[in-house]
Formats: sequence, structure tokens, C-alpha cells
Amino acid sequence: MSEPGTATGGGAGPNEDLAVHLDGITKRFPGVVANDDVDLRVERGSVHALLGENGAGKTTLMNVLYGLYEPTEGRVLVDGEPRQFDRPRDAIDAGVGMIHQHFMLVDTMTVAENIALGNEPKKWGGLAVDRDRIEREIADLCDRYGFSVDPSATVGELSVGAQQRVEILKALYRGADVLILDEPTAVLTPQEVEDLYGVLEELTEQGKTIIFITHKLGEAMHSADAITVLRDGKSVGTVAPATTTREDLAELMVGREVLLEADSDPVETGGAILSASNVTVENDRGVEVVSGIDLEVRAGEILGIAGVDGNGQSELIEAITGLRTPDEGTVRFDGDDVTDWSRRRRIDGGMAHVPEDRHEQGLVMPFDLVENAVLGSQRSPRFAHGGRIDWAGVRDHAEDVIGTYDVRPPTADADAESFSGGNQQKFVVGRELERDPDLVVATHPTRGVDIGSTEFIHERLLDLRREGKAVLLVSSALDEVQSLSDRLAVIYEGEFVDVTDPDTITEEELGLLMAGERPSETTKSEASDLVEGGDR
Amino acid sequence: MRDDLERLLERLIHASVAERVAISVAALFAAILVGGVLVFVSGGFASCRAGLDLAGVTFCYNPIQVYYELFLGSLGHPLEGDWSPMNYSLATTLRQTTLLIFAGLSVAVAFRAGLFNIGTQGQLVIGGLLTAVTVLFAASYVPGGFVGTVLLIPIGVLAGAVGGGLYGAIPGALKAYAGANEVITTIMLNFIAAGVASTLLSWRFQDPDSANPQTRAIPEYAEIPNVPVVGFSGRMDFSLLALGFAVALMIGIAWLLARTSFGYELRTSGIQPKAAAYGGVDEKRMTVASMTLSGALGGIAGAFWVLMEHGRWLENVPALGFDGIAVSILAGNNPLGVGAAAFLFGVLSSGSNAINTATDVPPELVGVLSGLIILFVAMPEFFRMMGRRYADVGGPERTRSTGGEADD
Repeated sequence: MSEPGTATGGGAGPNEDLAVHLDGITKRFPGVVANDDVDLRVERGSVHALLGENGAGKTTLMNVLYGLYEPTEGRVLVDGEPRQFDRPRDAIDAGVGMIHQHFMLVDTMTVAENIALGNEPKKWGGLAVDRDRIEREIADLCDRYGFSVDPSATVGELSVGAQQRVEILKALYRGADVLILDEPTAVLTPQEVEDLYGVLEELTEQGKTIIFITHKLGEAMHSADAITVLRDGKSVGTVAPATTTREDLAELMVGREVLLEADSDPVETGGAILSASNVTVENDRGVEVVSGIDLEVRAGEILGIAGVDGNGQSELIEAITGLRTPDEGTVRFDGDDVTDWSRRRRIDGGMAHVPEDRHEQGLVMPFDLVENAVLGSQRSPRFAHGGRIDWAGVRDHAEDVIGTYDVRPPTADADAESFSGGNQQKFVVGRELERDPDLVVATHPTRGVDIGSTEFIHERLLDLRREGKAVLLVSSALDEVQSLSDRLAVIYEGEFVDVTDPDTITEEELGLLMAGERPSETTKSEASDLVEGGDR
Repeated sequence: MRDDLERLLERLIHASVAERVAISVAALFAAILVGGVLVFVSGGFASCRAGLDLAGVTFCYNPIQVYYELFLGSLGHPLEGDWSPMNYSLATTLRQTTLLIFAGLSVAVAFRAGLFNIGTQGQLVIGGLLTAVTVLFAASYVPGGFVGTVLLIPIGVLAGAVGGGLYGAIPGALKAYAGANEVITTIMLNFIAAGVASTLLSWRFQDPDSANPQTRAIPEYAEIPNVPVVGFSGRMDFSLLALGFAVALMIGIAWLLARTSFGYELRTSGIQPKAAAYGGVDEKRMTVASMTLSGALGGIAGAFWVLMEHGRWLENVPALGFDGIAVSILAGNNPLGVGAAAFLFGVLSSGSNAINTATDVPPELVGVLSGLIILFVAMPEFFRMMGRRYADVGGPERTRSTGGEADD
């Protein structure tokens, strides 16, 4: 009955101390075994991380627990009792709540209305909703768990972090004792992640149990009491963060040794491929969000842009890639002034772009991967002849990308929307990097991608750099921009506060810069040298 | 209960083509069943000399006879003696089918580009008038007979396409460069088209020998000819050549959308404008281009209405453009489906005439029966469209389970 690897106090606990016990769960889909005899023991009042790559079976396992899927084999025990959940309602009634990666909230309704939706307390014999009671109950919940959420605020106006707290409140309101969070940090800013950790701590102190799905090592190490690693649908071990290292965990997860830090040896840089001078951009509401930015990316160089989301990165990238017209300034690419070039001309000129938003921009969701493989190249001579698209050639290309970038499941005929986020991202990155570009403009290229594929994408970016291509990299993952970039620009409120050497700056210094703290005058002058491309 | 509904919806969204056809056929039968009861019961309130007496009430209408006339009457009663395929009823059915294929394609192309073109009617009016005027004008410069036919018909169709295309480009440009909603502008332009056409008619083109508001008749050799031997008689205002052209155009549009760069860009713009912009599609030009193409197809509908049906332009233009919207929706905006949907509309329109001649059922009730059929057959497609949208906003808390898609 004991579980040697479990972390929380005193090792083995008797069965009734397990809030959730999944016993030998197997879930088969036609042609795929998503979960293969998985055991999971989650102790009451603990944070249990479920770690694994995209497609390892984490979400499937939790969907079994939440009643969305029926297990092919195995038992689900909650509080020591075998249960059969035919639908989420059953799981909720048993005290299991799930917070999905994409929130299930009605934007135009208030926090209170969202929380009570479907469980509204009634008054006047069921004729009216008892709003006072809802607000009272929510205020009680907030007090108890130390949340600060205004029940009368409209959900659409809240930040993503606050919306997530509303989702958690919703689960608590329905009486959840076990909370499943699916990739809860994927949509949060670093500060919001910290807040979330605080919330989780508060919840476990009050006796709630948290299961949290992630593919990020750091998060699991930081916040969990126990970590169960899934690989290819099998459980490969449960460990305590205190007794393991990131490297060991990564190896457990991927099944081989992984280089966590991409290593970039110096490369001879060539002439400027991309240069922008005094670029000023307004957003859709006419607010100036990029103010006079100068930058230069040379052949064989990766320029990183770090910054908290919403500081003008998106608009700057749009101005460079031709999706938005700058209000001032010029953009030069391969020696041409491309400021007025259309997006089409820039693509044809050899500019690849991994966009920020794969759902809206990078992929056409109802198209299959074959049709998505030609997005951006639909008029290029490689795939189009006399206005006709060579679909056989496109299919070959799609299959190449799928194979090379390990898109799972490897079926070109499935619609883009049926793939998981990480696999969608791999496909977009693959399509763009295999365009044979001179310049790659990549925004969050590994967002949502598991570490095995992240490593591969990093390698490909470094390959391109070695081949003398220029790369402009925007990422909110600091370790990513730091380890890949040759120079690192920090953006704050539409301006570069500094351009630094990523190898010498510490994460604390970077954090301060991202918060808008100006570097001292001496380092500033050094930095302006670097803006010009840092003579070597 | 709610879960079951969601499961049904999910099932419907992912239905295969064969299943969708089966659903449509089943819906047709359901509509006949409901309509049949309605006709039968209505008969109890009508007065007649002979009918079915039940419990002291005389039921005047026989639903079986009504549907027999609706479906077989529209084909000219093929089960009765001395039936010839070249009969007047079938010609009416196919004439309507031909014109509605053009109108339906016009609406479908715009829909696929994400635009709701309610202006097919106006484009048809303008295109038809331009066809008639151009042919009348050109006829004085070209010889008659076979040469005239070969020259004037393409000129007429082209004139219709150009007229409709330019008239469709207006709302396209208004949307692209001024942000005007195309639903509003196309509706307004329908009124403008009718007014302008009527003004032009009285200014210049009115047939002096007629009291009806219409142009002079185009020469007979400029009307779309019938195929010798297997063709319909000239008095039936229908030509198999025209139907053949409509079907060819339908296949051409399907090919354009599926196989070409332009079609790919058009569909991408319709589904996800941001992805289209990312992929290098000039959104403004695409809006104008797709509205122009849509308008040109509407104009061609007008050209065939003139060249095949009347041999002249009349101010009283039937509402083919509006029926085109229903045809397109019924076809799920799929060009190849437009043919089948247009045929159903042709059958309903010709069959209604047959009911009116053969039975005492009032035309209003026949309209209800047609409406029921359209409603029932269109509803599953409508639910699919709405269901897709519902699934997109994350309605059902259900991760999609498409085979291998197993995780996160």
C-alpha cells in the first residue's frame, strides 16, 4: 500500500488519505492507446503535478477522472470509494472540478453570474435568481481563500489571471475538493504565475487537493509536492521535487538525455538583413504603442526581444512583417526599403514569420494540414503554376513538415483544429522554417511545445543562424531568449530600454529592465553601440 | 438531456457527405408527412362536392394526389401514358433550375468569401438589362442567322457578366475602402438597380409597340437555341444548352475554389480573415474581387433570363436573386450542391403550377407545402452551421475525439 516516491510527510498513507486514486487506467481510442495502465495516487491537501510532453496522455487521464471519457480499463477512486463518472456533472457532484486551458466563461456576464451559471440559487418559489445570495456566497469564498475578485465586474474586462481565479471560484462554488488545472500557466504573465502559486498554496492549506497538468519542468519543481511523469501514455514514475533534478526529470519525461540550454557557438555575422529605424506604430485604437524603435539584425545573428506582453512587441513585429503599416520610420530588408511593401512581397522576398496567435493567424482551423501547409505560399512558384496549386506537391511538403517536426498524430488529412496546441505550433514553426527564408521573425516559437520538440526547434533556429540567416526572436520565456540570442533587446512601453549581451546579464537585471527600470548611463552608451550591430 | 443534445449536435457537425445526403432525404420525407397531414386537415375546412367523409366531416383534399402532382407533375407525369421527356412541365422545372444555378452560385461564392451578398437580385436586373440593350445594339452590326447566334449570345452573356460584375464591385469597394456593411449596401443597391433600370427604360429603351414596361424583343436568332432532335420546343423557353452551360459553370466554380490560388485565398478570407492577411492575401482586393465574381454570376443569371426565357428585358423581374440565397444556404454554400438545390426549387415551382391545374388546393396552401420542404431540408444544414459556431466558442465541455487526437 505504500508509495515509496510520494513526497508528502511520512511516506505511505493509508488509502483513505488519498483524495484521488486512479488504479490501472487504460484508455484506448481507435488506433491509439492514450493511457496504458496508469496508476495515480494523489494525497489529500497536496499539489500533485502531472508532467509530460504534448501527447503523453495527461489530459486524457484527467478527462477520465472528470467524466469526459470512460476508461477502457481500470478504476477511479475518489476519497477511497470506487466511482463511475458518466459525465462531468457526476464528477462535480463527487467534488472533482476541472479548470480547462481555455476558459469556459461568458465574457459579457458578471463574475457572479458566471460563477452561479447552472447552479443559481432561486427565490420566490424558483421564479427569480437570488442575486444577493450569490454575491454573499462568493464574498465568503473570496474571504476564505484570500481572493480579491469583484463579483459585479464583467468577466470580459478582467485580466487573464483574474479570469482564471473566476474559474477556480466557479469550481469551489460547486463544492470541489479536488481541482484539476490543465496547463494553468500557459496563458499567464510571469507575475500572474506567481499569484497563481500563492492561490494554490492557500487552497491546499484549506485542505483542497490540486492536480495540475504541465509540460514545464520549472513549474512542477516549484509548486508541486509530488510529480508523476507520463510518457507515451504510461506512468514512468512518481517523484518528489526535493529528491530530483531538472535534468533527471527531463530525461524521465523525454526518455533520453535533453539539452535544457541550447548552446550557441559564435558565428561570423554578415551584413544587415533587417534594419528598422525610428519605427513608430499606432494600435487599432490610435494609441502610439511603438515609439521610435531602431534595430538591426545581421546575417548569422539572433536578436532577441524580451519584455512583458503588451509593451508593443506585437505591433512592432506586425510592422516588420507587413501586417501593419508603421506611422513613421522605415524598415529595410535585404537592402530594400520595404516599408510600403505588401505582406505578399515580403513573403516572396524570403521573410518567414511564426505569428503570435496560431489560432487566428498561423493556421486556418477548419482546413486540414495539407491546406495549411500552403498558407503564405499559395502563389509562390514552388507550389503554384499558372494560378493552379500543385496539391500533390503541397501534400508531400505537409508530410515532410509533420515528420520532421514530430507533429502528432502524423495525419495530414486531419483538420488543424483537431490537433493539440503544441502540435499546431510545431506545424506552424515547421512550415515557416522550411520556407528557406533569409529572415525568420518568430514570436513565442515554442509556446505550448513540449521540451523534446522545443529542443528541436531551438536547434533548427541555431542551424539557420549558422547558415547565415537572420533571426528576430520575441519570447516571453526568458531562458529561451537568453540562451538563443546573440543580443537581447528589452522592450518597455514601446521603447527599447536597453540592448544587452544575454550571456552576462542576470535574470534579476533583466526583470528590472522589463519593468521599465533604465540602465545606468554608462551601460546605456555601451548598449547603443550594440544597437548598431556590435562591431566584431 | 443537454448532454444528449450536444452529442447529437457533435454528431451532426461531423457527419459525412453520404450521411448528409441521407439526412436531407429523410428531412424531405418528414416534410411530406407534416405537409400531408396539414393538407388533409385543411381539406376538412374547405367546401367541395366530392371528398372523403369521415365522422361527418368532408375532407376535400387528397394529400397523396397533391404530392403526386407536386413531384411527378413537375416532370410532366412520367408514369402516365404518352409521356415525352420534352414536355412543358419539365421544361419549366429545368428552366427554373438553370436560372437558379446561376443565382445560387452568385450567393455561394460571396458566402465562401465571408460576404453575404443579398444584392444578386440587383446584379441580375442590371446584368439582364445590359444584355438586352447590348444585343439589340449589336444586332444591327452583325449578320443574322447562325453567325448572329454564335456572335450575339456570347456578347450578351458577357455584357450581363460585366454589368452584374461592376454592379457587384460597388458594394465590394464600399466594404473594402469605406467599411460599409455589404448586407446593408447590397439591399439598398437592389432598390437602386430597379429604379435605375426603370428610368433607363423610359428614357431610351422602352418598346414603342407595347404598353408593358419592357424593351424591344431581341432578334430570334439571338435567343439561346435548342438542341436539334433531343431539344425542347422553342415555345417552351428552355434550352438544354443553357442547362449544360450552367452545369459546366458550376463545376468550373467548384474547381476554382478548390484548386486555384485565387480560390484558396477566397476561402481563407471567408473562414479566417486574419489568417488570410498573415498568408499574404490583400484583404481589400479580395473583397472587391469576390464581390465582382459574385455579381458577374448574378449578371449571367440575368443574361440567361433575357436570352432564354423572354427574348427581351421586362421591368417585372422575378425574385430569382432572392431564391438564390435560399438555394445557396440549402446547398451549404457548396457549388456542386447548388445544382441539386436549384433542381429542388425548380421542381417546387413547376409542381406548384401542376397542383393548381389538377386540384382545388389553394395556391397559398401549395406555397406552405413548398416552404415546409425547404425548411425541413435546410434545417439540418442550418444546425450544422450554427453547431460549428457553438462548438467554436467552447460550448460543450468536450474535447474533440477524432481518432488519434488523444491528448492536450
